[in-house]
Amino acid sequence: MTAILRVESTKLSRSSLVLTGLFALLSAFFFVVFPAFAEEAELIEEAFPAFLVGLLGIEELHTIEGFVGGYIFSVIWVLFAGIYFAYAAGGLIAGDVRARRMDLLLSNPVSRESVVLQKVAALWVPLVALNIGLFVVVYAAAAAIGETLDLVSLGVAHLLTVPYLLVCAGIGILFSVTLDRVESAQAGALGLVFVLWLVEGLSETAPEYDWIGLVSPSRYYDPSAILVHEEYALGDAAILLVAFLALLGLALLVFARRDI
Amino acid sequence: MCAQTETLDTEPDRGASPIRLDDLTKRYGEVTANDTVSFEVGAGEIFGYLGPNGAGKTTTIRLLLGLIKPTSGSAEVLGADIRDRRALTDVKADIGYLPDSLGFEERLTGRQVLDYFARMRGDERREELLELFRPPLDKRVETYSHGNKRMLGIVQAFMHDPDLAILDEPTSGLDPLKQDRMHAFLEAERDAGKTIFFSSHVLSEVQRVCDRVGIIRNGELVALEEIDDLLKRGGKRVRVQLAAPVDESAFVTSEMINVEIIDATVRFTYTGKPAELLEYLVQFAVEDVDISDPQLDDIFKHYYGDDPPAGAG
Repeated sequence: MTAILRVESTKLSRSSLVLTGLFALLSAFFFVVFPAFAEEAELIEEAFPAFLVGLLGIEELHTIEGFVGGYIFSVIWVLFAGIYFAYAAGGLIAGDVRARRMDLLLSNPVSRESVVLQKVAALWVPLVALNIGLFVVVYAAAAAIGETLDLVSLGVAHLLTVPYLLVCAGIGILFSVTLDRVESAQAGALGLVFVLWLVEGLSETAPEYDWIGLVSPSRYYDPSAILVHEEYALGDAAILLVAFLALLGLALLVFARRDI
Repeated sequence: MCAQTETLDTEPDRGASPIRLDDLTKRYGEVTANDTVSFEVGAGEIFGYLGPNGAGKTTTIRLLLGLIKPTSGSAEVLGADIRDRRALTDVKADIGYLPDSLGFEERLTGRQVLDYFARMRGDERREELLELFRPPLDKRVETYSHGNKRMLGIVQAFMHDPDLAILDEPTSGLDPLKQDRMHAFLEAERDAGKTIFFSSHVLSEVQRVCDRVGIIRNGELVALEEIDDLLKRGGKRVRVQLAAPVDESAFVTSEMINVEIIDATVRFTYTGKPAELLEYLVQFAVEDVDISDPQLDDIFKHYYGDDPPAGAG
């Protein structure tokens, strides 16, 4: 039974392509400023307020690895893509229930669990489009300005976005099965992902409050560590996957039992 | 929320009535949308579920499909207990459903919508249905008129040749020609042994196609009877415009009830045969005659007590 997966995948394909294009454009802008930026990196790094360094996880800005990890991955992936996945997943169920599409869908011999799972599985489209698209763009853009990135580190940095984005999607789907209005579900999900990102970034600047950041998914994905130090935190990725499965399981439990 | 009963492992019994409701109750806070509703729909009949808007018809249907859970009581559909989610999901392969408000994927074309549902439950009768009901298949559903959506809904409800069709106000939005076509189609399905559960607020439609009727009002089943019995009691609303005022005793017959005479206009409910009424009227100087179906509310008032509908939800 993949009918729902097919239709949902098609529905996500246009927004995924547009988003990939936008992010590619944004990355290109970042790269254009890098050469000038690298020269002044030390000054800039000193001038940065501590909270911004914490928010973006900035390290070694004068190197291409530090720049890509601290800017492109921190902003585009951790913040923007995280918000997009929360938003997209937030719209998967609530909208269908509200518009009574779910009545017709559930008149088919398909379980509610299967409906949720197929809809979440359709997020493979933006996941693959963004990762492949931006991998190519970032690698090519670095080459174009005479820099080289380690292919393995860049690949791992992309691969480990997957568990992080799945957790954001898990937050979205939980909002989507719980709330009746699609706008509320989407706003709630993306708002929460943003707040968690903010809290995590700020908690890093204040050691006594560092523990607060433990609840945020962005704590478990550190692109600068991957690109600059080649530290691949697979344990953290596992934590994210478990968190995603827990959120998804909870969403299935809620949706299977509620009136629609 | 009531307790979920997920471990009922009774085997579905296809020999029994396709639909059986047993004190089915659904409450939303203070509002009782369905109040201990019990009835059975036999195999191979067209059962009309009649009631004014807001009486609780759609609630019953959504309970039967497992979209909402009963507060108490139960029901079986094609032998599956509606509280047993897995069993109910399995029998849905043999159920066709036409909801009152049709939620399609608006960006898809009609053809893509049918392909979508076909992948989940088959479409062996799609072409045959598309000859009777012709929605514009190559256009996106978002451009459809109400009637076109309804036709697409009818095709998807029957294209997998279900044993049981549950139809919620199936002809609303259809032009009269298509309504007649739908009625004839339903009769042919019934004759082929299919069971049809048909909700409507239009008495004449139910009278025309249904074998048996259940009447729901304010969430309660107030009558359950053969359509012939209802017809005998239903009557027609008649307004006769005469050339000159008449004397009541000279005009009124025993088949006329609730007679109102204002000047040269006579209004009444006629319980006899329409042809006999027309034969009777030719002896008077009639200027105009208007014969129509009585409003459901009138029927309720006359035959099921006249306590006013209390905030039907």
